[in-house]
Amino acid sequence: MLARAFITEPIITANPVVRYMLGICSALAVTTSVSTALTMGIALTVVLICSSAVISLIRNHIPNSVRLIIQIIIIASFVIVIDFLVQAFAFDLSKRLSIFVALIVTNCLVLGRAEAFARKNAVWPSVLDGLGNGLGYSLVLVVVGSIRELLGAGSLLGFQVLPLRGDGGWFEPLPVIMLAPSAFFIMGLLVWALRAWQPSQVEEAEFRLQDPQEKII
Amino acid sequence: MIDLFLLSAFEENLALSFFLGICTFLAVSRSFDTAVGLGIAMVVVQAITVPVNHVIFHHLLTEGSWSWIGLPDADISFLKLLCFISVIAAIVQILEMVLDRFFTPLHLRMGIYLPLITVNCAILGASLFMAERHYTLAESTVYAVGSGSGWALAIISFAAIRERLQYSDVPRGLQGLGIAFVVTGLLSLGFSSFAVIGGVP
Amino acid sequence: MDRVSITGIWRWFLALPNDSAAKTLGMAFVVTLTASVFVSISAVTLQPVLRENLAREQQIQMQHMLQSLVGMSDKLNAENLEELVVRLVDLQQGTFSDQYDPALFNQRVAARDLELSVALPLEADIAGIRRRSNYAPVFFLPANNGPPLIILPVHGAGYQSMIYAFLAIEPTTDTIAGLTIYEQSETPGLGAKILDPDWKSLWRGKKIFDERRNIRIAVVRGQAQGPHEVDGISGATRTGNGVANMIRFWLGDLGFGPFLQNLKSGELEL
Repeated sequence: MLARAFITEPIITANPVVRYMLGICSALAVTTSVSTALTMGIALTVVLICSSAVISLIRNHIPNSVRLIIQIIIIASFVIVIDFLVQAFAFDLSKRLSIFVALIVTNCLVLGRAEAFARKNAVWPSVLDGLGNGLGYSLVLVVVGSIRELLGAGSLLGFQVLPLRGDGGWFEPLPVIMLAPSAFFIMGLLVWALRAWQPSQVEEAEFRLQDPQEKII
Repeated sequence: MIDLFLLSAFEENLALSFFLGICTFLAVSRSFDTAVGLGIAMVVVQAITVPVNHVIFHHLLTEGSWSWIGLPDADISFLKLLCFISVIAAIVQILEMVLDRFFTPLHLRMGIYLPLITVNCAILGASLFMAERHYTLAESTVYAVGSGSGWALAIISFAAIRERLQYSDVPRGLQGLGIAFVVTGLLSLGFSSFAVIGGVP
Repeated sequence: MDRVSITGIWRWFLALPNDSAAKTLGMAFVVTLTASVFVSISAVTLQPVLRENLAREQQIQMQHMLQSLVGMSDKLNAENLEELVVRLVDLQQGTFSDQYDPALFNQRVAARDLELSVALPLEADIAGIRRRSNYAPVFFLPANNGPPLIILPVHGAGYQSMIYAFLAIEPTTDTIAGLTIYEQSETPGLGAKILDPDWKSLWRGKKIFDERRNIRIAVVRGQAQGPHEVDGISGATRTGNGVANMIRFWLGDLGFGPFLQNLKSGELEL
């Protein structure tokens, strides 16, 4: 039961990317196709789990003054190894991912979880927390990736789902979806949809507009 | 060199084309003054870290750099990630201490942004791009100043827009994060129109 | 008496207050050392796999390039593709070089290497490639097959992408025998029309130089007049110009110009 709370909660109710604006940096640049988004999500989840576990292991012995750099070094080591693994076993994907796997080091989500959770909790809860958050992040990436690949190329994971006009079908791909701005638009719409579903996540406005119809008492 | 500067500041803007440093971007850009402070801090840190990382990368990590000690085939460039991030953290720490000691009023105003910058994707991203694209030392410096300025420009524009946005009638679901994304998208669209000005053939 | 043991020292170390100088330095050192060892072990283990991947990618690229040569000219078909000889050319000297294996030489990688390439000054860089590798592979059919045919790899900036192509030349008559483009990302339907076999065939038989050996080959708006011009593609002027500038650069002094001149004067033999 505890495990379920750790894993399911971060996916929807407290999705770290959507709710706390964490880790979006590299999220968007790799969402031009589902395969890159999925690889990125898996890479980040693995790094998150491993680094949370290690940091949690040594949590009682980290001196305050070097806390941040020690966490970063641990995360960086796992990132380098993951980067190698992706290059070794998924070479074509790694060329499209370019520097973004390496940028997991500075990913706000990974550092955020290390600071907020792994540093203060035992190993197994930290691992579960890492898994849950990683899955939540991967979910957002894959959703955005699916939308972009479907509308931008008519395919999903490389399989042509919508027949292209050029091949005798009807679908005219939208190249604008593959550009940077549309990733932002899609994220904005996604946030809107999520908050319509879960109104508790809506941020309140800082200033309320004065309704001109209201009587001024 | 000019077109490298323009390219890195506008067409390949770290924030708006590569989505780097967005976290800080979205979290800090509610106020114009903080955005200006963060932007300046970014340019300064970039201008120092990218050239330093270049020197370390080419003279300590790449193949052939240890030939003077009799190990010409040693290629430890896989350590560049660990190296860059440590160098960045160290430089930011030193900068903070120097500011605190010699320019205290400046430190009081701007010093709080420096720790935020250590883990900023854009700083690490710029160093990684520099290594991937094999820039020379001169090109690295121009790239650093250009990309830092571009990022600063993006975040300052964004803060200005967001300040105004607080007084508009935004739909409830889009409030805050949602509209921030949409505005960033529009800004990104605008910046991509600079492609022609950048002089890229 | 207590034995001084490794575990004893380790336990003493762990028991130190976290913020003491010894602990701080110690932890920093231990973590960094462990991290570096961990990373280095994985690097060394995975290095062979990485190298294999790179080599395989090279091979695939080479194959892809060679495939596009088929049908480029009447003399080149799937059969005598096997007979193609590849040699490395030193672009500056215009001579053959045996410095590197031509089959494995990657021009794109070399162009980024400071030792193996030069940066081009802005006015001279008409193809927009910024850096030029000092060596380039050239392909040709051996001399016993009639008048020689040389195939030069060229690349240049199009409207929105780098265009990679092969240019086939008959060096004795200074005419273009064929053009084939194997990599580009121009606007589909407009610039991408440079891949049309009809447009590519327009280049066959065009003369490169005029009487005074100035490069005259060009892509013009509308209909071509004369042996130096090729019809432009409407709606894709910049792409067309990109292709023209690419060819002019690589046939010029900074490209294969010296090499072609040496061939023509007889100083160099295929």
